[in-house]
Amino acid sequence: MASSRGVVVWSAVLCLAGYVWVYATGLADVPIRSDGFSYYVYLPSWFLFHDTTLAAVARDCCGGEFPDYSAIIRWPGTRRWVNAHPIGVAVMQAPLFPFAHGLTKWTNLSADGFSLYYQHAAGLAGLGWIVAGLALLRRLLLRSFSDGVVAVTLIALLLGTNLYHYATFDSAYSHPYSFFLFAAFMVLTAAWHEKPASRTSLLLGLTAGLIVLVRHTNIVFCAVFLLYGAGTGAALAATFARLRAAPGELMRIVGVAVLVIAPQLLIYHQATGNPVISSYGGLGFNWASPQIAGVLFGVEKGLFFWSPVLLVAAAGLAVLARSAKPAAAFVVPGALFLAVNTYLIASWWDWQFGGSYGHRGFVDALPVFALGLAAAFERASYTARLRALAAVVATLLVSLSVFQMIQYWYGIIPFQGTTWQLYRELFLQWR
Amino acid sequence: MALKSRAAFLVAAVILLTALGYLRDPPWLSNVTSGLSAWETDEAGVPYRWTRGHASFFVPADRRAVVLTMRSDKDAPTDWPITATLTIDDRPAEIITFRDEGWHDVRLRLPPRGNRDVRRIDVKLDRVRSRQRGIQLREPRVE
Repeated sequence: MASSRGVVVWSAVLCLAGYVWVYATGLADVPIRSDGFSYYVYLPSWFLFHDTTLAAVARDCCGGEFPDYSAIIRWPGTRRWVNAHPIGVAVMQAPLFPFAHGLTKWTNLSADGFSLYYQHAAGLAGLGWIVAGLALLRRLLLRSFSDGVVAVTLIALLLGTNLYHYATFDSAYSHPYSFFLFAAFMVLTAAWHEKPASRTSLLLGLTAGLIVLVRHTNIVFCAVFLLYGAGTGAALAATFARLRAAPGELMRIVGVAVLVIAPQLLIYHQATGNPVISSYGGLGFNWASPQIAGVLFGVEKGLFFWSPVLLVAAAGLAVLARSAKPAAAFVVPGALFLAVNTYLIASWWDWQFGGSYGHRGFVDALPVFALGLAAAFERASYTARLRALAAVVATLLVSLSVFQMIQYWYGIIPFQGTTWQLYRELFLQWR
Repeated sequence: MALKSRAAFLVAAVILLTALGYLRDPPWLSNVTSGLSAWETDEAGVPYRWTRGHASFFVPADRRAVVLTMRSDKDAPTDWPITATLTIDDRPAEIITFRDEGWHDVRLRLPPRGNRDVRRIDVKLDRVRSRQRGIQLREPRVE
């Protein structure tokens, strides 16, 4: 059986191969497109035009007005640009930007922030963060599971869900970044509760800040740190005792997180006069009518419909909750987060999150599901018969997911609006 | 060990320098564009592409001139004209304002060939129409 380290390395190779495939064959348009445009647009604005208002880049790229799809609007009253998508993705794409810019000048491409090398720097950044997230997840899982179980879990997670799609076809979206940050936050949470060291606190603050910068609503995930170990009264009491015993470390975490978030608040203030706004303008949540069934099981984008291997993960979380493994400390806070996150996604005015393969709103939370998958695979390894059954089921579910993903890439499965009748007609069809 | 890492550094440096040498003027550069839509054809069957607010493409460096045939579309007759600034390798070459909807030829004299095989032409607009439509651009003709 492959080692989990080998799986991470081969995941990187496989993601890179998929990335080259979708762009070399023209299956996907340029990486910086749709939401990816508004997540990225800060980088040319800051580094090429030295402008935090987005006005200069709007003049250069777009004749003064951002495209309608970009979710960048003129704020009523100030007429300044407000981007619905925050700066976190751009911050995490920034390390590759200078290389792209230098190469652009060297090859004499247009140094406008959107030519060839900038495009693929942004695309490859997302891919890189997903591979880094898998590496961190491996570290987290190895605390509780055998190397073989971790290897199988990482393969099932990458190929049995839409994670691979977001490492390749749509890698400039926010989800690869959140996936990495969630995995990092969980690794650091476990380390901090084992030993609350200053370095861990600094990294936790940085990670928490970035989680909010990438997707504001993901602030809810930070509760996992506070509820770590919840599930039994005694364990939760021990967690609170640890938190009370280290007020300095807690201040450090909060302080660093606030520092990381501060530039976003300044940008909002510059654009609107108010540091805290709803950047989506009039669009918002329908709290009273969440589309829970559609979000979880619907044929259009349902989480479990398009990534059925996650049903195994959900069952595994229940198994893990009853175990004494270190990973069990994440089950209750993880499940609470999943419940709240599902309600948030299901209440959003566009609960399908536009065009996507599967439901992209849940890619961020895949590290939580990974714990359940690993627990399920471990339970299945107890007897030869169960092991064989699990291997067959997992292989079928992963194969189905990969096939449907490729159908999506080739436009056989539509970007949105799939109906049950259409799904049945297209099931395992190649045309 | 030190010898091994020195050799690895040397190999990496050679690979990097070779890659940089190749990327200075790669053969595929003449096919690279940005800010241009896919090809379409007009009523006369002539192919063209829409630019967005900023488009760029390459022409051979060993030619004397390039002729760009362009037109602007209007959503409404009262729409403001579009002004395009054309540059060759970031040096200003021409400014043209499209007041009507007819096709216009713009001839740009190319500077003497330097040390590159291709020259970059940028078309930058002061405004675009709805759906990010800039101007229509036919296949550039080189002389």
